Parts: sequence; C-alpha cells; structure tokens
Amino acid sequence: MSTSAPTTRKSVSSYCYQCVAGPDLLKVDIQDGIPYQIRPNASAADIHPAAGKVCVKAFGLIQKTNNPNRIQTPMMRTNPKKGRNQDPGFKPVSWDAALDAISKKLNKARADGLKDESGFPRVAASFGGGGTPTVYMGTFPAFLSAWGPVDMSFGSGQGVKCYHSEHLYGELWHRAFTVSPDTPLVELILSFGANVEASGGVCGVKRHADARDRGVKRIQVEPHLSVTGACSAQWVPIKPKTDPAFMFALLHVLLHEIPRDRLDIAFLKRRTSSPYLVAPNGFYLRDPDSLKPLIWDLKTARAVAYDTADTDPALEGEFAVSGLETGPDDVEWTHKDAPVRPAFAHLVAHVEPYTPEWASAICDVKSAIIRDTGMQYIDHAHVGETIEVDGQVMPFRPVAISLGKTVCNGWGGYECVWARTLMACLIGGLEVPGGTLGTTVRLNRPADNRWSSVVPGPDGFMNYPMNPTKKGEWHSSSSSRHAHQTLVPLAANSPWSQALGPTHLAWMMQKQGFDHLPKPTQPDVWFVYRTNPVISFWDTDVVADAIANFPFTVCFAYTMDETNHMADILLPECTDLEGLQLIRIGGSKYVEQFWDHQGFALRDPASAPMGEARDFTWIATELARRTDLLEKYNTAINKGAAGIRLFGKGYDFSLPVDKPHSVEEIWDHSCRAASAELTDGAQSQGLEYYREHGFRTKPFPRAQWYLYPEMVRQDLRFELPYQERLLRIGQELGARLHEQGITWWDRQLKEYEAMPHWQDLQGLWEDALEKRYDVKIGDYPFWLLSARSMQYSWGGNAGLQMIHEVAANVAGHGGVLMNPAAAKTLGLVEGERVEIASPTGTTTGAVILRNGIRPDTLLMIGQFDHWKTPFAKDLKTPSMNALTPMMLELTDSTGSGADLVRVAVNKLGARP
Amino acid sequence: MTRYVIVADLNRCVGCQTCTSACKHANATAPGIQWRKVLDFEVGDFPDVSRAFLPVGCMHCDDPPCLDVCPTTATRKRADGIVTIDYDVCIGCAYCAVACPYQARFRVDEPAVAFGGKAMRHEDLLEDPARIGVAQKCTMCVDLIDAGLSQGLTPGVDPGATPACVSSCIAGALHMGDLDDPNSNVSKLLRENRHFRMHEDLGTGPGIYYLYDKGIGDHTAIEPAPMVADPVGLAAVSPKLQTNWDWRAAANFILGGAGTGLFATTVIAGLFEPVHWWAAFLALAMVGTGLFCVWLEIGRPWRFLNVLRNPGTSWMTREAMAAAPFFGFGALYLLWPGWMAGVPAAVSGLAFVYCQARILRAAKGIPAWRQPGIATLVVITGLTEGVALFGVMAVLMGFEFMELAIVGSGLMVLIALRALAWQTYRGALGTAGAPVGALNALDQGRANLSARVQAVVLGVAIIGLFNPPVLALAGVLVVVTGWGFKHTLITRAAFNQGYAITRMPARGAGVSAPGIKPGWATE
Repeated sequence: MSTSAPTTRKSVSSYCYQCVAGPDLLKVDIQDGIPYQIRPNASAADIHPAAGKVCVKAFGLIQKTNNPNRIQTPMMRTNPKKGRNQDPGFKPVSWDAALDAISKKLNKARADGLKDESGFPRVAASFGGGGTPTVYMGTFPAFLSAWGPVDMSFGSGQGVKCYHSEHLYGELWHRAFTVSPDTPLVELILSFGANVEASGGVCGVKRHADARDRGVKRIQVEPHLSVTGACSAQWVPIKPKTDPAFMFALLHVLLHEIPRDRLDIAFLKRRTSSPYLVAPNGFYLRDPDSLKPLIWDLKTARAVAYDTADTDPALEGEFAVSGLETGPDDVEWTHKDAPVRPAFAHLVAHVEPYTPEWASAICDVKSAIIRDTGMQYIDHAHVGETIEVDGQVMPFRPVAISLGKTVCNGWGGYECVWARTLMACLIGGLEVPGGTLGTTVRLNRPADNRWSSVVPGPDGFMNYPMNPTKKGEWHSSSSSRHAHQTLVPLAANSPWSQALGPTHLAWMMQKQGFDHLPKPTQPDVWFVYRTNPVISFWDTDVVADAIANFPFTVCFAYTMDETNHMADILLPECTDLEGLQLIRIGGSKYVEQFWDHQGFALRDPASAPMGEARDFTWIATELARRTDLLEKYNTAINKGAAGIRLFGKGYDFSLPVDKPHSVEEIWDHSCRAASAELTDGAQSQGLEYYREHGFRTKPFPRAQWYLYPEMVRQDLRFELPYQERLLRIGQELGARLHEQGITWWDRQLKEYEAMPHWQDLQGLWEDALEKRYDVKIGDYPFWLLSARSMQYSWGGNAGLQMIHEVAANVAGHGGVLMNPAAAKTLGLVEGERVEIASPTGTTTGAVILRNGIRPDTLLMIGQFDHWKTPFAKDLKTPSMNALTPMMLELTDSTGSGADLVRVAVNKLGARP
Repeated sequence: MTRYVIVADLNRCVGCQTCTSACKHANATAPGIQWRKVLDFEVGDFPDVSRAFLPVGCMHCDDPPCLDVCPTTATRKRADGIVTIDYDVCIGCAYCAVACPYQARFRVDEPAVAFGGKAMRHEDLLEDPARIGVAQKCTMCVDLIDAGLSQGLTPGVDPGATPACVSSCIAGALHMGDLDDPNSNVSKLLRENRHFRMHEDLGTGPGIYYLYDKGIGDHTAIEPAPMVADPVGLAAVSPKLQTNWDWRAAANFILGGAGTGLFATTVIAGLFEPVHWWAAFLALAMVGTGLFCVWLEIGRPWRFLNVLRNPGTSWMTREAMAAAPFFGFGALYLLWPGWMAGVPAAVSGLAFVYCQARILRAAKGIPAWRQPGIATLVVITGLTEGVALFGVMAVLMGFEFMELAIVGSGLMVLIALRALAWQTYRGALGTAGAPVGALNALDQGRANLSARVQAVVLGVAIIGLFNPPVLALAGVLVVVTGWGFKHTLITRAAFNQGYAITRMPARGAGVSAPGIKPGWATE
C-alpha cells in the first residue's frame, strides 16, 4: 500500500454480469476516486445462492477500468477502405461530431424506409454474451425499441457456441431456455460435456460443491477431462459427437432391461403424451369431433379423448381404433379399426436396437459402463417418493442429466435434448424437486416468470409460438438476414428469436446468397457492443470480409479489437464499473441462477469515466434526441424497455416523454418503480436507497423453481416422447420451401422426426468436409474441440493481463491440449509450437500434454487468435474459430452448428 | 492459545483462481506474483486419469524454515501462528525463499506494471516501495485479521476479519480459523474429514490442511505420494530450478570455501615455514570477493548489516559473524605473521566455511542442499581446494620436494575424503529421493566428485608426489572439479521441492486415489 495518507476511501455496490451465469453482486473499493479492489458483497450472503460472491472474471474489472489501452475519445475512421490490412486511420472527434455522423446515417435510413429493398431492417445490431450486454447498455434497448425493426441476426457466437438445441427444444418441452439439475437436491448427475465448474457461474460452482459435499455422484461423459470432469466422481472419455448413441442406450436400458414398474408410470400416463395413440401415418389418432388425441382406456377398454376423466391410459399394446388423423396442412385421414399403439409403445420399439453393446462400438465406451450408468440412474431416481416444497407435495426425483456445448448444438443436438428430457420423463423427474429443471424462458412470454409462460396449447400441451408453416401463414421472407422465420419454426419470433436463428447463415449470405431468398443486403447502420465476431465466430476470414463490406459500423468500443478495426465510428462508453444501471436479480434465470429471492441491484459507478467515455444511457438519450425519437424512447423506458416498468398498480414513476432526461433521473425513476414493485406500491425509495444498500429483494417461492405444480394446476402434459407437432411442421415447412424452389434445406428437413433416429454424426462431419474441400479426411486425423474457461468465457477479457496470468494456472490454456501417446506418434514434445490445420484454415500454438484427453482428440480452450486487441494479440494462443467452416451441410434444422472439426497437427520446428 | 490455519477442501475446490485474483487485489501483488494460487494436478494414464486442484501459498508453518534461516529477524512468527515479514528490516537475501519448501516467497526488484510502460492509476496508488527488493509472501491478510479482531470480529467467520482468499472462495473450499479452538470451523472440519498436509515429512508443520475424503473414523495412515520422475503435463507443479541465488551466491560458496581452506593451509604451513603472506592475502581476497558477490545479489544491499541480527538460529548471520574475526585476525596475520593471529583467523575461516555448509543444510526448500551429507561435503571440499590451491602456488613458488610431498600427501587424503563425502552425500540423496533435475545435474561430468573421477585426480596427485608440475596439475584438477561441483550445486542442481498432492480427493460419491510427487525420483 502507498505510504501516503489516503484522502478518501469508500466502497460502492455493483454487479458482475459478464457471463450468462450471472448476475452476482460485488463491492468495489475506491481510494481517492480510483477503484482498486473487487470484493464479494457480504451483505448479500443471505439472499444470493453463492453468498454474495463473484468469480475470477469480476476481479479483472479493475484492470478493465484502468486499462491504458482503452479508447477514451470518440473516434472517426479516415480511411474509407476497410479490411484487416487497412489502417483505419481513426482520428479523435468530439461527441457532437460522432453522434451527428451517426444520427445523420440513422435519419437517412429512416427517411429511406426502415426496411431495405430485400425487406431487411436497415439498422442492425450485434451484442455478445448471451444477452448480458443488455445489463451494461443502460437505456439503449429503449432506443432500439423506439427505432423500430432492427436486425439482430449477425451472430457473435450464438448458434455455434451456445446450447442451441437446449434453448429451442427446452423451451418447447419445459420452458427451459437453459436447463439445470435441481442441484440443491440432486443425487446423481449425468453430465454430457456440460462444464458447470467453468461456465455455471458462482451459483453453479457453489451449488455443485455443496452437492459433492453431501455425496452427489456426477458422471462426466466427455472426450477430455475438463474442470468439471475433474470435479466429478467418474470420467467417461467418450468419442466426440457420439453422445446421442450413449443416451439412446440409456433409454434402451430403462425401457428394455429393467422392470417397467421401476419407471414413473403415473407420470408417463398423466404428464406426458406417452398414452396418445399414433395412427398409421405417424400422427395422433384423434376424436373426429373434438379433434383431441385419443388414448386407450384400460378401465373401459376403449379409446377416449386424452383428457377424459377417470381413465387408466394404456402405455403399451396394440388396439383397433377408429378415428381421424390430421397431417400437415390439415390433410386428414379417417381410420376404421386401425391397428394403433400408444406413443410409449412406439418409443419402446424405437429404442430397442440401441443396446449398450451397439453404443459401445460407436462411443468407444465399454458397454458395461453404459449399462451401469443407466442402472445408477434408475437406482437414484426414488420413483414413488415425494417431497414438500413451500407446502406443496411434489415428486422427488434426484437424478438429472446436463448437456454441454457441442453436445446440444448442431447435428445431434435434437437427439441429445430429446433423450435427456425423455430420460427425465421416464422416471417422472422433469420439473420436479431433485430433477431436471428449466431455469429461464426467452422465447415464450412473459420472460421473467416461467409459471406465467405456461399457457395451454393444442392437445393438452403447453402452447409454443412457432413460426407458422401452414400455407398462407408461412413467412417466405424474414425480418432478419438469416431467415429465422422462414427456416426455423422453433426459433419463434420473440425479441430473442433473431439471436437463435441460424446466425451463421447471416454471415454466409454475405458471401453468397441462397437461392430463392431475398437478396442479402448489408445494413445501412450496424451497431456493435461487447462482441467481437471477427474472432469469436467461425471461418473468421469470411466474417471479417463481410464486416469490411458493411457501409457504416458503429462500435461501442473498449479497446481496439478485430471487429472495431473495421468500424466507422468508435464510441467509448462507461465500462462495467463506470456506468449506472439498475437490473433485475434473482427469481429464476440462466443456468443455476434460481434463487429464493428476487429483486433489483444497482451498478453504482465506482469511478468517473475514463477520458471522454460516456454513460450508455446518455448516449442512448442523445441518439433518441438527434433522431427525433425522444417521445417513443421515453415511452419505451416507461414501459420497461430498460428493464423496469415505471408504472404499475398503485404507482406511476413514468418519465415525461417530451424531453430528455439525465442518466441519474432515469435510474432514479427506475429505482422508485423497483421499490414500488417489490412492495406492491407501498414504498418508493429511489437511487439513494440503492446506492446505500446496493440491492433490494423480496422472497421468491422455491416452488416456482419447478414447472410441475403449474402443469398439474392446468392439467397439462409435457410433449414427450412423441413429436407429432414437429413431424407435422417439418412436412409443412418442406412443402413451403419446395413451393418456393428451395431445396438446399432438405437435409435439415429430415430432422423433423417424431422420434429421432441415430445418425452417424462423425461420418456426417467427415463426409461434409471431404466433399466440400476435396480432401481425404484421413489426412486430418484429430477431432478438435473447444471448451469454456471460467477465467475467459463471455468476458471479452482476453486483453487483461491479470486474467491471462491466473488462467495460466489452469492446464490447457494457451495452447493445444493433446494426449501424450498421440504426441509421441508425431514426435511432439511439451511446449513445442505446432500448426493445427483444418481443411479450411490454420492456427498455431504450443503443445500441452495431458493424459486427460482422448488420443484422437485435441482441445483448444477459449477463443483467441487476436491480431488487433492490445495484449491479447501477443499471446500466441491458438483458436479453433479460424479452423471451423460455416457449412450448410453442418447446420441442423434449428440453424445451429457445433464446435467440431477435423484437423491435422504439423510441426513448426521451433522449440520453446 | 490461538493457531490460525487454512483448511482447503479438495472435494470442493474447482481451481477457478478466484482466490488467486482476490489475493492479488487485496495485497496489490505485482504482475506474475501470486501469494495464493491453485495448482492443477493430474494423475494416471489414459483413460484412468483423475485431476485435482490444490490451493497453495505460505503455509504459516509451525516450525517455519524461513524463520530460522532469516538473518535479519525480518521474518517472525506471531503467537497466533501467522508468519510475517518486516519489509523495513529485510535485506532481500532470499535465503528464506530457498529455505521454503512451498515456493511461497518472492522478491520483486523493480516496480512492475501489468501492461508495460506507464503504470495504471491503481498500480500507482498501491505501489509499495517498501516491498521492493525484499521478501514477500502471503500474510494471511494479517492487517485485516487484526483490524477485525479489534472490532470484535472472528477470523474465519466474519468477512471483515478473514483473509481475502477465503472470503472470496466461490466453492466454499477455503476455510480459515483457530486450530486451538476445538469448536472452531477448522477444528470441526479436521475432526470430520480425512486430511493431509503438503510435504509433511519435512517436519515444518504446515498450516494449510487439505481435506480429501470423508470418514475420519476410517482414517488410516496415508502413504507418501508416489514419486513420478517424468509426469505428463505437470511441469507447473514439478520442481524447478531456483532462481533466487545465481552465480553470485555460487561465487561465495566457491571462493569462501577455497579461500578459508587456503588460509587454514597457509597458517598451518606457516607454523613450520615463514608465513606466505601472498597466500594469506589471496585467501582473504577470495573470501572477500565471494562476500562481495553476495552483496551484489541481495535486494537491499545497504541494509547489509541487518544480516547480523539473528545469530540465534540463522547460519547466514553466523557466517557473517565468523567473517568478521576471519578478516580481522587475517589482516593482523598479514601485518604480524604468527600463530597468535593466524590460528584465530584460520579457526574463524573454518567456522565460516562450516556456516556456509550449514546454510545449505538449512535450506529446506532445496532437496540437493538440505541433504545432511552436504555439510561435510562442503567443508571438506573447501579444505581440499584450499590445500590444492596452496599446492599449486607452492609448486609455482618452487617449494622443496619434501614440502611439496607433505602438501601432496595432505591433498591426497583430502581428495579421498572428498570423494567419500560426495559418495555418501549422493548416495543418501538418491536413496531419499530428489528432483530428477537435481540428480541429473549432479551426475553431469562437470559436477562429478565421484570415486571414479576423483580416482583419476588422486592418481595425478600421486604422480605429482614425484613430479611437481604434475602436482600442480593435480591441484588444478582438484580446484576445477570442486568449483564445478559447487557451481552446479548452487545454480544447476538447486531444484526446489516442487509441489505434491498426497491424495487425490474423493469427488462427491467418488473415491480418493493416491496422489503424486511429480518430478522426483530415487536412484
């Protein structure tokens, strides 16, 4: 410490939401106006699941704030040519000049029409980190809301780096944009590549540590021994991208190798579609009058509508039943005494071939391990037991399955998410204490309450806002450049849907359009914040080229980076510790962020802005003022576009809409509304209260962690195992696309199966690469994977020295991880620099040897290969992004791909 | 009484480095300096592999090697078990750093900044000049503890009195508390869980306990972690060559041993012949040069007199104290040759070299130094080199045959004794086990004092009995091999202890497995 006496010393409250597993609460210590230390917020210990603590990334915020490499004034490009090898010639300009230049472009875009000749929004925006930028961008969402249509389809990693299939199918089946074990109660977790100790945030880490303490068993199925594998009771080194085979074999064990009564028969009969009779063409057999699916009632020995009272539905057997079958586009078949079986019986037959022995050959895992895993699952399921939560008696099923990145995105994701959710259903463990839970919704509404999002839909299931596929309703063009409404019914069309469409298609279309879709255009104005797609997406050269062609790019810039190198305007905004904002906390959010409390937390500035940096809310207000959108902007704020609705029952703290408001004024109103919301209008403390206390909460009922009570209350069923609806919309979608002449999506259409079949995923990748690049796949003998790192993931912090320093303590960072036996065959030694080449690109890095990885697999942690970002560009750390092609053949029907590619390793000759 | 300790639950630790970062914040450590960090261990061969994370730092030992060796008393141990450093007293000799078997001590010689160039404003704010050039390590956030205690808070329970690493641990893996309080959190944890301490066999009584399994009732004796000579991917936790003491320290051992040996030989010879002042002068100069080299190496050279503050336990202080009469009587000997000055000087010199030997012996952090046989070996080596140097000079000065024969005979005896001491030392080191790098360095030709090599030297010396030039050659060979050995010992064989994990933790319902002592081998 300095020997000179401090003049002032204080602490302020803030939050860390750098990753999707936040937010978490913290304190910042300040001396003489300089933030110098991050601490946990001990006063939040009783309301935060991780006792008010923050992870390693939060400790990087001091360097982030004080980083000398920060951009500290608005900058304007002087070189009209863009590209990696072009010097942008950025010159400092005043805020007035920068904002005038932006508003001029925006006003022109508005004058030209909000959509261009292809029907795409003229303004586009890309934000990183799974929605986390929203909690740092103040009222900018209100500006975007005021603006109108904005294209969010230029992805920065979503779709290819996220849990994409889980997001979409999870929302469909159990309002589960993200899925988690009920970690506080679970006994057994089967974790397929999920890396909760790296990407589950502090809540995940704390809860899983508590779980281990009480003896939970977690089996980590993953090609390398990740941090999560290290923390697990057992590691099963499965061959990459063969997880569906393992999981299908688990289904086989449960359905063919144990007595049926060990399953939760009552749950299957009452809470799933298992009893629904499947007609000859693959769709449900329905009552001709009510059109309700039929079940076979064992009590009366006849077919009745699924919701008939006092029935005992058959799960197995074949019955001769008459009824109506409704196919795609309302085509109907009338059946008379047709031989039909319940969906469950179809399921039993469907998984019969998938024995552990069959899976063993595919997964390179002993069949005994697979079988034993299945038996442990059922042994820990506690079928028949109940538990009381908040006075409600619910089933207690302390087994769960977690899926990780690459497992649940791209081809195979559907199979895995289906199998995982079905495994939960078989033992009655879906959305019940101890079992498999969704923790947040994003595609269904309202997004802040899972129970409220449970709305009755067709056939006794929850409703789901599919993009329409019926003739006359289908969108032949979309509001986004990646055609999410056209191609992906499951993506829905919520504010989050564009981020969940096939985001790499947006980039691919910039290179070459797709037949029979609108001509791909560039946005007139592209806003970029907290994302760096030039290094964080795939086929990075293609992305960089596309961005270089964008006519006007505005980057809210922290330091120079690979994306804002192509920008026209750089705007330095107050970073995490400098800006002011109030956000919602608690309730049930991403990953393991399901709390016993809910409320609001303040991001109180710990420092005056560095240089000319400005608060994001000020920037948004200025943009609104300069584009004559002030009234709409203020109205959007009042309606909650900045996170808190300013009026409600018994209170109204709305801002006058006809004038600009200061940053503090806006958030003071927000604080007052937050106080009122939490107290049903009884209290209205403003900004000063939150500055003093940091946060404010009220209890969140634990029963709302589970969807089960609401499903029972509404007498709804989980839409499993049989996907009649997907089968129908898949066929409808195919018809629509073919009517428009689109045949390049046919491979994806095959994924719309009522129950997924095994497909050779490794072969799919190999064939696609061989055909596209005219290579022999044998020349690329390794599977390359990536993994998240707690130190880096979502943080955008590769330019921070301290993060690099401490991350180096965790093996695998900074190089390419490989098995020593594989290295020996290539004559490679620890630390040797090598070139890793895929058919599409190369990267270089140092060899890191560990026994905890399959000999046929390589691993690169995080995303690097920076060439512009200060500090990061000198790390010489490899990244798989440049090696991973964007290919339609490797895009699944949800529009996602997987971080997976075949590579070769070549000596560079240089020794460390 | 109070004994504050840390308990790390390895079942809970996820290696996230949040504690590492929190420590860096709380203590404003320089880039690259980590008082607290978490190691990443992997054990086994594919596919039977397990991995564990091990938080390390200063162990605040019951019997801290750093405390005894510190020549300045800058390192102290409080009644509550916390080991502290007085930055204003420390001279930055780094003896504590090589004495610590946990690699927990650091010395930063220049203010360092994260991004190069100009310091960030918080770096300017927190820069502490007192920490430049002196030893630094985990303080257990002692200031926080004391401030908390003064407010009636309980360390390990109240965040306001608890080390930053513990308060920040997101997994709840780190605990801190009073071991002497049977009701404390740490006492309870240790009663209920199986645990080990790192390098328990060294007898330091480290104050970090590692929980690795439940079921203390089934507790059986823990086998030492198996040595693995060439572990895969564990370079970060394997022994590394210490960098605190370089050629300057080696010069002190080389010149100190040979110089005191030469002085003693000169004095003995002077009992029978006129005093050879040039030899005595050379001896004094050598020892002085060695000490000057050390002076160049310490971080705070102008505080060098603080080296005299700990005669009670520090062999470095004793070395300095022995140097004083050595130079005093030695100077008198030059002025007034004779036994009255020569013998005290020679005895002081021998004490000096003995202290040097014990300096190495007390350096618990360096397995090649702490081996008990090192003391005898270093003393005999010094004497042998002294006689050899005297012999060379005697030949050059044209001593008579009988005189040379006496010197040569003494040299031969010492060569044999040196080889014997080496053999004893090396054998014991190999039997006990040592870092592979240390063994390899010691077995290199340039460091080899083995019987085979020394037999050649002895053979040359025997011939030298009849041929003075050959005797000089033998002397040169003795000096070259001896100096080569000591240079190697200090700069090439000085691998630190490295880290070890005695048991891999049981994770949840999993089972514990044997740990690993990476980078170590027996013969």
